[in-house]
Amino acid sequence: MGLPIPPRPSAPAGLLDRCAAERVTGALRGPHGCFYLLDGAVYCVEDAAAPGLEARLTAAGKVPPQGWQYAVETAGPQLRGGQFLVSEGWLTQGELEICHLAALLDAAFFALPLPPEATSFTPGTAHWLGAVRRVSATALQQATARRRALLDQLRPWAAVDTSPVIPVHARASARTTSRQRRLLDRADGRHTPHELARALGQSAFMTLLDIRRLAAAGLIHVPQAPAALPRRQPGASLDGHPPPAAEEHHTPTWQLPVPELLDTADPDIALLVRLRTALEENL
Amino acid sequence: MPGIDQVLSQAMGIPGVLGAGLIDWTSGLTLGTAGQAPHGDHDAAAADTAEVVQAVTRNATFDTAGTAGPALEDLIITAADSYHLIRFVHTAFDSQTCLCLWLDRAQANLAVARLRLRDLAAELVPS
Repeated sequence: MGLPIPPRPSAPAGLLDRCAAERVTGALRGPHGCFYLLDGAVYCVEDAAAPGLEARLTAAGKVPPQGWQYAVETAGPQLRGGQFLVSEGWLTQGELEICHLAALLDAAFFALPLPPEATSFTPGTAHWLGAVRRVSATALQQATARRRALLDQLRPWAAVDTSPVIPVHARASARTTSRQRRLLDRADGRHTPHELARALGQSAFMTLLDIRRLAAAGLIHVPQAPAALPRRQPGASLDGHPPPAAEEHHTPTWQLPVPELLDTADPDIALLVRLRTALEENL
Repeated sequence: MPGIDQVLSQAMGIPGVLGAGLIDWTSGLTLGTAGQAPHGDHDAAAADTAEVVQAVTRNATFDTAGTAGPALEDLIITAADSYHLIRFVHTAFDSQTCLCLWLDRAQANLAVARLRLRDLAAELVPS
């Protein structure tokens, strides 16, 4: 699955600003992301392109495998899922708040801007995690714009955003950060940056940024599509030399089998001949 | 265990502190604030701090600890009248967060402030 970079935000006063000005509470659902608002402030964002709280905490081993579903069923109806994760002793309040905000910010990057024609608002809808922390719509959009500016500095390498990449082995000893080395270890030419981010439970934005930086440093490249099996050219030779001159061109002809090949002492052939004879007699 | 607001309010008890904040250093988003900010603008301070942190994190020069855990701990900026102390908050899950302290140079002890901030980061996210 690719990781589309949405176009730059155009209108300064978008849907999110209007919701903030009107201090609405509910869910603003765009084409692939959803913003949950409380009194006009954003307290949860989900987007298909960004690993959410569950993916991050599960990858880090913070929440046991069935723990997430248990939390949804137990504390979801009261909209206090976040506090439930803390009360179970799986993480501290500080960890919950930081992880939640990191996931919110990452999702907002891919969900913004919300196209007005493809966004619907459902008043009163709340997220089961509850309002762990709130961020103002203005601050969130400014933060997203700053992140976008970082990626834009590496725009010439945007081709690697949606492609599986592989490390350039000859340059493996070059200077990299630990985050980049982790990506290089996982870059196998089969998974896109988006899939790597999900597998590692890490920020999809940071993954894109690191992948673009690695591409800019010449440390990764997009593998060539597997070539079709080579077709034999008439007259081509194994060592790659061009075929001989036209006067030596032969028209291909079917050769009859060498007669001696049919005279064999192999008992299997004799058996097959007897079988054929028997079958013909029964026709 | 304390949340962001409790830790920042404890940070205000460090001698000489003028203001404190928790920021996401990839975007400059303010995750929490307490006290004053330079020029009275916490959001601008967070955005400027994020640029400093990014300059350090994107370069391998400051990341030489190999694969054994996170390498960066503090960034310290000393100025004529103040100190800026930035502490990376390391988490088991992926996040890009740091605690920031703005200190009055005449009142603060840089070594004490650094150790107190380290302990507060560990309270926010136990290692």
